[in-house]
Amino acid sequence: MVDVGTTLEMVQASQLGMKAVGAGLAVGLTGVGTGLAEMGIGAAAVGATAENRDMFGLALLFTVIPETIVIFGLVVALLLLF
Amino acid sequence: MAGVSSSGSALYIYACTRMRVRRSQLIPREDYLRMLNMSLPEITRFIGETNYRSEIDELGTSFSGIDLVEVALSWNLAKEYQSILELVPGDLKYFTASYLRRWDIQNVVTVLRGKLQGMRPGKIKEVLVPAGRLDRVVLDRLVAEESPERVVEALRGERFYPTLEKELPRAMETGSFAHLENELYKGYYARLIADATSGLKGGDVFEKYIELEIDIRNIQNLFRLRASHVHEDIRELMISGGSFKVDELQRLSGLEDRDEFIDALKRQVRMVPLLNALEEIRGTLALHEVEVALTRVQLDQMERMSKRYPFSILPVLVYLEEKKYEVANLRALARGKEAGLPGERLQGYLVM
Repeated sequence: MVDVGTTLEMVQASQLGMKAVGAGLAVGLTGVGTGLAEMGIGAAAVGATAENRDMFGLALLFTVIPETIVIFGLVVALLLLF
Repeated sequence: MAGVSSSGSALYIYACTRMRVRRSQLIPREDYLRMLNMSLPEITRFIGETNYRSEIDELGTSFSGIDLVEVALSWNLAKEYQSILELVPGDLKYFTASYLRRWDIQNVVTVLRGKLQGMRPGKIKEVLVPAGRLDRVVLDRLVAEESPERVVEALRGERFYPTLEKELPRAMETGSFAHLENELYKGYYARLIADATSGLKGGDVFEKYIELEIDIRNIQNLFRLRASHVHEDIRELMISGGSFKVDELQRLSGLEDRDEFIDALKRQVRMVPLLNALEEIRGTLALHEVEVALTRVQLDQMERMSKRYPFSILPVLVYLEEKKYEVANLRALARGKEAGLPGERLQGYLVM
């Protein structure tokens, strides 16, 4: 005979676990995506700044634009958890 | 992305961006036009305020006038090329070094010519551009040698030593290094093709550039030969490896009529900018204008290709070539002003 109380607890716990995994994936994968996107931009930004110091501000701005992706991930993670 | 190795793509992007930024800092057309109306001291001061500042300042105490400009330009070019060789990564370095070997040929032939004419070592040293594999130390050693034979002997082990050894007796006999120079450059282009097809990543893009360069060089030579009315066998003077076969070039050079020659050339060419340039050339008779127009086509076409392969050897080559012409332009300007030529005449010689 199945213990109904225990099963419900298990389901709830596993749901919570799944949410946590989802939140982790959301932040983790977007982090990887951001990293990939920033690789090229960062390399170009360092190259441009090395030749012309005045580029620094603009180059930094371009480099951090893909950070928005990881922020989306973070927002989704927070929505999942709370 | 053709020509990019998967592990080093960030390095390629870094190097190519640096080349693009450097290219944007070259002297623009408007500044050349302004310089055409300046005197030599004004030009010296003007370039002393650009990228050539450190050389002009450094050499200002030991040289003056036209010598200062000449030496400063050569030093700057050599320094720039060596710094590029240091910053480009991986296979790009290999290709760049391979491209820069042309300066070795130029330097060696200059040393040989100087030695044959009994020039002072100091004077020869002033005109050398140590931008290739042979650095200042090696070149100083060559310049200090007594005779052309000793110079060639000192180069034993270099790639072009066999050609030098074979051709030197004939050159010494005739007193002209023209044939030797042709053979060296033909060997250089053959070697470039071998390097490009050696299986390194990005070699295909490099090969495209080499083909373009050989084609333009051959067409320029055809125009030069026509201008000096040479109708003999020109097969020996042409560079093989381009999109034209040497026999085809020989046939083209045999055409008497200039319009007929240009038409025949146009039938063989597919590149639109070159077709347009050939059409424009039809009206011009001055050889230097034809050469400048063709050089412009080469640079424009390279620029176009470098946009198609943005992270390859091409952005590096575009910068190297444009820098070379910037130095050539400034030298022509300074020399022309020294000789008192009017600005309008000088303008025709500048690649802008």
